Amino acid sequence: MSDSNAALAVSIKRMSKSFGDIEVLRDIDLEVKKGEVVSVLGSSGSGKSTMLRCINWLEVPDRGSIHIAGERIGVNEAAGRKMNNKELATLRAKTGMVFQGFNLWPHLTVIQNVMEAPIYVKGMAKDQARAIAEQLLEKVGMSERKDAYPFTLSGGQKQRVAIARALAMSPEVILFDEPTSALDPERVGEVLQVMKNLSSEGYTMIVVTHEMEFARAVSDQVVFLEKGLIIEKSAPDKFFSNPETERVRKFLELSN
Amino acid sequence: MNGQAWLLLLEGAWTTLWLCGIAISIGVVLGLGVALVRMAKIPFVDQILVLYISLARATPLVTFVLFLFLSAPMFGINMNRNTAAIVAMTLNTAAFNAEIWRAAFLSFSRDQREAALACGMTGGVFFRRIMLPQMITSSLPGLVNEMSFLIKGSPAIAVIGIVDLTRVTNRISAVTYEPLPPILCAALLYMLIISVLLKLQAMAEKKANRLAM
Ligand SMILES: Nc1ncnc2c1ncn2[C@@H]1O[C@H](COP(=O)(O)OP(=O)(O)O)[C@@H](O)[C@H]1O
Ligand SMILES: [Mg+2]
Repeated sequence: MSDSNAALAVSIKRMSKSFGDIEVLRDIDLEVKKGEVVSVLGSSGSGKSTMLRCINWLEVPDRGSIHIAGERIGVNEAAGRKMNNKELATLRAKTGMVFQGFNLWPHLTVIQNVMEAPIYVKGMAKDQARAIAEQLLEKVGMSERKDAYPFTLSGGQKQRVAIARALAMSPEVILFDEPTSALDPERVGEVLQVMKNLSSEGYTMIVVTHEMEFARAVSDQVVFLEKGLIIEKSAPDKFFSNPETERVRKFLELSN
Repeated sequence: MNGQAWLLLLEGAWTTLWLCGIAISIGVVLGLGVALVRMAKIPFVDQILVLYISLARATPLVTFVLFLFLSAPMFGINMNRNTAAIVAMTLNTAAFNAEIWRAAFLSFSRDQREAALACGMTGGVFFRRIMLPQMITSSLPGLVNEMSFLIKGSPAIAVIGIVDLTRVTNRISAVTYEPLPPILCAALLYMLIISVLLKLQAMAEKKANRLAM
């Protein structure tokens, strides 16, 4: 069923999630408009990854609702039941995800990694998938290595390929989980640059990151998670120069 | 060793090869099937498969062949020698292969699965396109190793009267009264077959290592 506000790429309402006795997310509310970049900050273990993984149902939240481009994920509201695997996959195809550890498929070349989902999920013709993949690899600066296998690439190169792979499905939103945390410092810039370009092209992105400058320069909203709660959610200027909570002030001091 | 003796020897080699070939082909696929069903952890079925695997791995092939050949008629099944040999060798090698496939399953990274699901693949597409190709590559060295074990163990099928590459040497020396030459020639042929497999294994290992990086 469709959400009232179709301009929202993602809408999360009162989402909660526990692992055993530990409540990892509590009543998360978040609205992401199309074309927006939302940065998610917070210390390690605060629930950032879990929040991201609930959005595309890699983790199943216990309560609350999530809509992707107006469509409820996990629940088939028309039929009044849980989504089956096929329905879930169809909706997941509208989200892209970029992982800290790249998670490329090692038996496929760079361009095959990018073509795989369009061909085997969307049923796209190979020629068309190849053309799109070539464009995307151009966009992330990886055209020259398109026939290489992942093991021959640096971390920064792998992550740029992973971004192209996520873009290949033309997702409504791309979820980034600490995309630069596993990189050598000198490789961080090239990945952030690609992400900056994407934001100016109008891609909708939710980015879990520790890169404060990136968050400040690129975000439309900054969200701060603490023990599974969103304790602050504001525009980047306000967040970084005049935070509401003592906790965020401390966090910003420590990360400077 | 005259021409006639060589002809007999090659006939024996052919018997070994085609019987083992069929057992290997079915055994590799059956092993994958067993491993797949075991991953589903279906109660009862799982226990039966565990029992099958431990029995098949603990029983000498020669005992197994003999048992199968002699007991089949009691269950009203009519098996000729070749069928009994193929069934026994298949069940034997499939048990080993199932463990090889299972290890490949268990060591497969969760990360790749999540990347596949995240871009909209169903579990089935993920298995066919991402997991299985890599499992084949990483299992191949072990599978090929098991193939050469089976071939080296295959003289066991002579116990039910099949004239394989080893058994035929008896026949030849019964005529020539020279037991050594046919045995040496048979050993040579075994080595030839195994060396082809070893070469294959080396290639498979190289590819598997590349994947692991
Ligand atoms: N699959 C899981 N099973 C049990 N606990 C988990 C699981 N995933 C995460 N957690 C716990 O949930 C909390 C939040 O984890 P996570 O979302 O990964 O935090 P962050 O990404 O902010 O570092 C942590 O305490 C973590 O140990
Ligand atoms: Mg995390």
